[in-house]
Amino acid sequence: MENQYKIRSPFFYAIMRLMSNRAALVSGVLLSLIMLMAIFAPLITKTSYEEQKFLMTSLAFPSQTHWFGVDDLGRDLFSRIVYGARVSLTIGFAAAICSVFIGLPLGALSGFYGGKVDWVIMRIIEVFSVVPPLIAALLLAALVDGGFFSIIFIAGIFGWVQVCLLVRAQVMAFKEKEFIRSSLALGASPMYVIFVHLIPNSISPIIVGFVQAIPLAMMLEAGLSFLGVGIQPPLPSWGQMINIGISFMFFYWHMALFPTLALAITVLVTTLFGDGLRDALDPTLKGKG
Amino acid sequence: MSRYIINRILSIVFTFFFISILVFILMHAIPGGPFDPVDMPLSDSAKAKILKQYGLDQPLYVQYFKYMWGVLQLDFGIPYQSPGETVLELIGRAWIPSLILGGSGVLIGAPIGIALGLIAAIKRNSFIDYFTSAISTLGLTVPVFVISMLLILVFSVWLEWLPASGWGEPKKWILPITAYAAIPMATYARYTRSAILDTLNKPFVTVLRAKGLSERKILFRHVIKNSAIPLVTVFLPMFIGTATGSIFVEAMFRVPGLGAYFVSSIENKDYPLEMSLLLMITVMFCFAYFIADLIYALLNPRIRLGNKKKQ
Repeated sequence: MENQYKIRSPFFYAIMRLMSNRAALVSGVLLSLIMLMAIFAPLITKTSYEEQKFLMTSLAFPSQTHWFGVDDLGRDLFSRIVYGARVSLTIGFAAAICSVFIGLPLGALSGFYGGKVDWVIMRIIEVFSVVPPLIAALLLAALVDGGFFSIIFIAGIFGWVQVCLLVRAQVMAFKEKEFIRSSLALGASPMYVIFVHLIPNSISPIIVGFVQAIPLAMMLEAGLSFLGVGIQPPLPSWGQMINIGISFMFFYWHMALFPTLALAITVLVTTLFGDGLRDALDPTLKGKG
Repeated sequence: MSRYIINRILSIVFTFFFISILVFILMHAIPGGPFDPVDMPLSDSAKAKILKQYGLDQPLYVQYFKYMWGVLQLDFGIPYQSPGETVLELIGRAWIPSLILGGSGVLIGAPIGIALGLIAAIKRNSFIDYFTSAISTLGLTVPVFVISMLLILVFSVWLEWLPASGWGEPKKWILPITAYAAIPMATYARYTRSAILDTLNKPFVTVLRAKGLSERKILFRHVIKNSAIPLVTVFLPMFIGTATGSIFVEAMFRVPGLGAYFVSSIENKDYPLEMSLLLMITVMFCFAYFIADLIYALLNPRIRLGNKKKQ
């Protein structure tokens, strides 16, 4: 009888809410599968992404030996798609980490201090909100000459705004609570309060911001690579493969279809999982943003 | 209110100059110049003459102030890619296909989206509701070039019903406009659904029901009117947003619009065109948000913009 009213942590309820959201659950499972594929890419593919082993059967259609066919340069398309998942997910996660690193301190500062600090940070965000990320990214990509790390950096520069706003709202809401005020009254420094009390209490908006930054970064990478300024060959990127696929689509549809589907499915499941996580961690945010 | 408007306009002016400086620095920081030997094999003296003609031999800050002085007089310079016309003429010419694309995309997509969202909100958890959420999630998350590619694969490659690329005859417009319409449709479907559901949960609807009004009357006389406000305000920014969406749609369908110039002006270091395009987009976005906020305040008397600062 004593276990009848077991005390559960908020985390437990968040997990329960996530499990009861069918779309989020399915997306989460699919996302984990894609991540496993990306991590164990060398184990499940026949060749590496750049080996031109099948030049004799270039542009072969999908078959039992080549599930997604062979590309124009004699590379197994399935291997390239799987390695593409590696590129896309790495960029997504790394850029999301970047976004949190920029957005978290700025959001905490602007929420805690308000006033002038807030004004300056809000003006910066305003600039970011009127410049279309894609065009600015095009400029930056031309500046740093594409490449893996610059894409992460560029996506991070444009991903932090959401994290910053989420953290700012949370900090503003907590700033006036009793435990913060008593902590300040007891002589805690603002930095101590921010790091020890406010940031740990913002963990759910941080997680939400982090997960929502991932698909945005992946889309930015795919878009830049599609336009030819992102990931440079031979490193495979789905955006780049779609662009190549356009030239072949009328005769060799597999070149266009598989990278398109891979990108669509990955971005879709990541977004749905992020939305589910948001609803689970903070039910009051449901449907917003 | 008038103070609010003045503040906003000042902030737009500030943003405008801030971005112009930022873009100018970035643009010139990209290695290489517009008349490098790779693109144009010129003798040194000829190159010096061209640089002088375009004022590129002067210090950067002089170039910046000269250019911005021109911009204030609506002189956006001459594009290096096609020196026969001014930047304004080039943009005016290239914008027509983009406007047709974006305009019809929004005008077709938005009503369909509103209708879908409306039905989805009324018939919650029905097939239409799930269908609408699926469509709007797809449209909002999947990049527009992926949608374009799927459309091309289905309708031009497999069914061979429609041409996949080009411009000119209206038959070629169908696929790009459809691809384009996906974003406004998805946006509006989602916004409408949540706005209507929001209003349906308000106490005044319960009162109307208690008074015995039919569901139809409640919906058409009261709920839709009250849900329209957020829908009106997303319209302008979304319409401007099609300008960047056009880069991908136009690249996929080989439409000779403005989109290609965003990429080519950066690649060719066509400074005047690059600057003008970016400044134009920025200003349009600024004003779109500004006007959207004003319309919001006009339609919803509960919001008083001027007092926002005093909170």
